[in-house]
Amino acid sequence: MADYSCLIVEDSPMMRQLLVFALARVKNLRVTEADDGVDGLRKLASARYDIIVTDINMPIMDGLKLVKRVRSDPVHKDTPIVIITTEGSQEDRQRALQLGANAYITKPIQAPQVIATVKELLRIE
Amino acid sequence: MTDENRKRPDRSDTPTADLRSERDLFLAKFTRGARITDEFLKEYENLARRSQSLEAENAILRAQVEADEALRDMMRKIEQLEQEKADLLSRFRRVEAQSTTVSARVEEVEAEFANLANLFVASNQIHSSLSPRGVTRRIKEVLAQFVGAERYAMYLVNPNGNELVPIASEGVPGNKLLPVRVANSAIGEAFQGAVVVVNDDVSPSTGTLEQPAAVIPLSIDERVVGAVAIFSTLSQKTRFDTVDFELFKLLGQHAAAALVSASLFVQADRKLPGLEAFLDLSV
Repeated sequence: MADYSCLIVEDSPMMRQLLVFALARVKNLRVTEADDGVDGLRKLASARYDIIVTDINMPIMDGLKLVKRVRSDPVHKDTPIVIITTEGSQEDRQRALQLGANAYITKPIQAPQVIATVKELLRIE
Repeated sequence: MTDENRKRPDRSDTPTADLRSERDLFLAKFTRGARITDEFLKEYENLARRSQSLEAENAILRAQVEADEALRDMMRKIEQLEQEKADLLSRFRRVEAQSTTVSARVEEVEAEFANLANLFVASNQIHSSLSPRGVTRRIKEVLAQFVGAERYAMYLVNPNGNELVPIASEGVPGNKLLPVRVANSAIGEAFQGAVVVVNDDVSPSTGTLEQPAAVIPLSIDERVVGAVAIFSTLSQKTRFDTVDFELFKLLGQHAAAALVSASLFVQADRKLPGLEAFLDLSV
């Protein structure tokens, strides 16, 4: 049985697959995927997650709105959030951190970086 | 009996000279014996004191010897402990060295895993669509998300084989995206040589349309049918890594095939070929 649960919110199937691949390396971590912010909120409403990894640029509801909504949700207000940004979008990154995101990963993403960030926030050795 | 003896009957007779001499001798002997006895007694007392003193000294020496023995034991113990410490330190260093080697190996394996994950996902995604638009979108995504390309274009060769025609691009203004002649162009060079050409002179983020950072020939069954030109990458990418070259190889071998397959599938009105098309495949 998994000790931790992670919600990946990413519109690109390729990036989602890569994130799932990377996080499969973290022991006892169950990963759930969401296509965009709205899908992410739907999944957050039905289950509790220990960490959220979300892209910033997504259709329907972007990562910034998702971060804002999560932080106003009493159940997930303290859940660590990792945002995925591009190097050029420093403003978005700053905004996300101000809204309450805990860490960011810059594209192109590397599996070891994703694993290290998630482990650090979940305090897994 | 003499007259003198008769006159003094209450007194003993005067001893004879012999007796007197014998008495004196006896007295002298007795006195000497008494003196010797005194001397013996004194000597005995001295010896007794000396004996006590020696016993005390002996006790001190014995205690000292015992203390020395304890000290020697302690020294031996310290030596043993020092030896054990040296052994443990040596073992610790060996284990530490092994641990460092293992950590380095784990890091290598993790990096290798990350590269393989990228390659697997890229390959999987390129072949997961049967629409030309879907395949193109995925190829672009591989270039943007995995390679970190910022400005790039995909070209296919024209039927004459002398010009490469752009079919998709990102980050390049439409008016600047023109067909490229195969002869005398950086893109054409990679196309003709059927090898990946990388501009090592500058950082890949500063490549231009004329001098792309990298050009990847696209092949189907050893036949080069096009090329992908990465004009420049994201600013944080300062060089192409091993995994990028693996991705270039993957794109070169799979992108065109996936694109052509998708085009043929659309041309066939998305109909699957009949079973007869597969009946002669036995090898």
